[in-house]
Amino acid sequence: MRPCGTFDEDYRHDMAIIRTRFQWIMLGLLLVTLLAIFPYFLSDYVLSTINVIFITIIVVLGLNILTGYTGQISIGQAAFVGVGAYASAVLSTRLGLPFWICLPFAILVAALIGLIFGLPSLKLKGFYLAMSTLAAQYVIPWIIIHTPSITFGINGCPAASPRLGDLVINSEREWYYLLLIFVTVGIFFAKNIARTKPGRAFVAIRDNDLAAEIMGINIFGYKILSFIICSAYAGLAGSLLAHYQGMVVAEQFSLMSSIWYLGMVIVGGMGSIVGTIFGVVVIRGLRELVMITTPMLTTIFPVLKESLGAAMTSIGFGLVVLLFLIFEPRGLAHRWELLKNSMRIWPMPY
Amino acid sequence: MEFLTQLIVAGLMSGAVYGLMAVGIILVYKSSGIFNFAHTAIVVMGAFVFWALITQLHLPFWLAVVLLLIWSLILGFLIQRLALRPLIGQPILAAIMATLALAEILNGIVTLIWPGLGRVYQPAFMPTGVIRAGNLVTISINQLASFVVCLVAFGIFTYFFQRTRIGLAMRATAEDQQLARSFGIKVERVLAISWVIAIITAAIGGILTACLYGVNPIVSEVAIYAFPAVIFGGLESITGGVIGGLALGVLQNIGAGYLDPFVGGGLKELAPYIILLLVLIFKPYGLFGYERIERI
Repeated sequence: MRPCGTFDEDYRHDMAIIRTRFQWIMLGLLLVTLLAIFPYFLSDYVLSTINVIFITIIVVLGLNILTGYTGQISIGQAAFVGVGAYASAVLSTRLGLPFWICLPFAILVAALIGLIFGLPSLKLKGFYLAMSTLAAQYVIPWIIIHTPSITFGINGCPAASPRLGDLVINSEREWYYLLLIFVTVGIFFAKNIARTKPGRAFVAIRDNDLAAEIMGINIFGYKILSFIICSAYAGLAGSLLAHYQGMVVAEQFSLMSSIWYLGMVIVGGMGSIVGTIFGVVVIRGLRELVMITTPMLTTIFPVLKESLGAAMTSIGFGLVVLLFLIFEPRGLAHRWELLKNSMRIWPMPY
Repeated sequence: MEFLTQLIVAGLMSGAVYGLMAVGIILVYKSSGIFNFAHTAIVVMGAFVFWALITQLHLPFWLAVVLLLIWSLILGFLIQRLALRPLIGQPILAAIMATLALAEILNGIVTLIWPGLGRVYQPAFMPTGVIRAGNLVTISINQLASFVVCLVAFGIFTYFFQRTRIGLAMRATAEDQQLARSFGIKVERVLAISWVIAIITAAIGGILTACLYGVNPIVSEVAIYAFPAVIFGGLESITGGVIGGLALGVLQNIGAGYLDPFVGGGLKELAPYIILLLVLIFKPYGLFGYERIERI
């Protein structure tokens, strides 16, 4: 829905993402907030949370293209992040290559591994496919741990900070700017994939794969493409994560993180780029909230135990996802659309 | 020779437990069409609940069993009623994600009540010791007992499905819900019962695993092997689940036993997933599953 008085006079205008003056103003405000206010007025702790959110957004964008747009369920996204992270960290440490070479290489490696694990989608769908990605979730970390001559095994692999000329990017604020660039590019790319021919093919496959095939869509090709895009995003995020942390360990990329990524897609809204951002922010915010409130709870009620935080995050996450599935399966993105529409005609009821 | 027989017997012993847990998953899938990813969490929780009843509350064995049954009833009812019934008619991702979310909730509850790492589980009802059969195999009585328990459970389930009224109703519901309903079968009740039975199998599997490894997160790692077992056997067949579990256990042990020296150990954890991938690529619907033929 579009406000009154907005006319699309040519094709370019019709296809534009930002069409009204109000949207340009909001975008400007957002940019000022992100570029000038956030990095200078927030503490390092908050900035580090935002940085992790940025990396998670990149991961979940890929997963949303695979699961939300193409309808292929993957419960192995964390493993692909691990592939990217280790590819980048190993190159950086073993060969001493700079970050700017490790990063594209990590994307390539992750995309290749994603392609391999996407191959079963030729024959399988639904939860059989989920099973094959579940296998990826266990096979990949096992290989990482059991090849210590390359990956340092269980000790974890260090990764050097990126350099830009003489500048070494290692403070939270510098990382904030770097990650902001990658997130923006990632969002822009994902938003535009969804509007192109492959994007429409993805949606057709999700809605009815038989009908899509009859319309002449090469189902297998597009499914594989979707897997490649998804794991390329995972690889990018993995590489960024490795250099941001300075160290990667295989335990980070557990089944549980994969489930959390899927939960973010559900909460945000499947098949929505804005929803992805909402989902990540809400779920991470929930986690931070629990982490902040549990120490208080344990001081008030000393009976409660020290593992309360971990337990409450799990329970909270599960409940939120379950409630969204039952009451708002279209996720926060749908609520956001409703809110925008009601704001547009405010204060009139019609 | 001794090496091989030893591996096969050990595989059968652990495979029986995988099979038992697989039966629980298949049961729920057959009756309600939901693949229960929360099964591992239920297995862990069952092990913990039984451990708490026996060791923490010092209850007698029979009372603990009764309380465990009551716990299964309540949990099965709650899951069926609160989480899955509202999702009927939703796409498959919703059902998968709901069971995953359920697993997170149950894991969280377990961490909340029993924090920290694992506990040693040396229950008095489990005999200990080792027996040797000739010079072919050496089995710990502990494992043998769990094998026997699994066989007895399989026997009871077979009897239940073949000979009792409610078992027949469950098979009818699995075949065709509408038709079953028109014959006067209460489908909702059948679904609830299948959940309860699945939870009981999970709990037994969890207790047996915990007897070997202690009550700790390793139980959930073993419980996940039920997924490859289910895929191996085929989703629609209970016999398939049992055979899949046994075969998986044997293949896992033989593979690990013979190939470990070449890859530097640890293949036992990986083998089920390699088998899972191979099955998915070459025979996706398992040994006894129905092949899906799509028509327009």
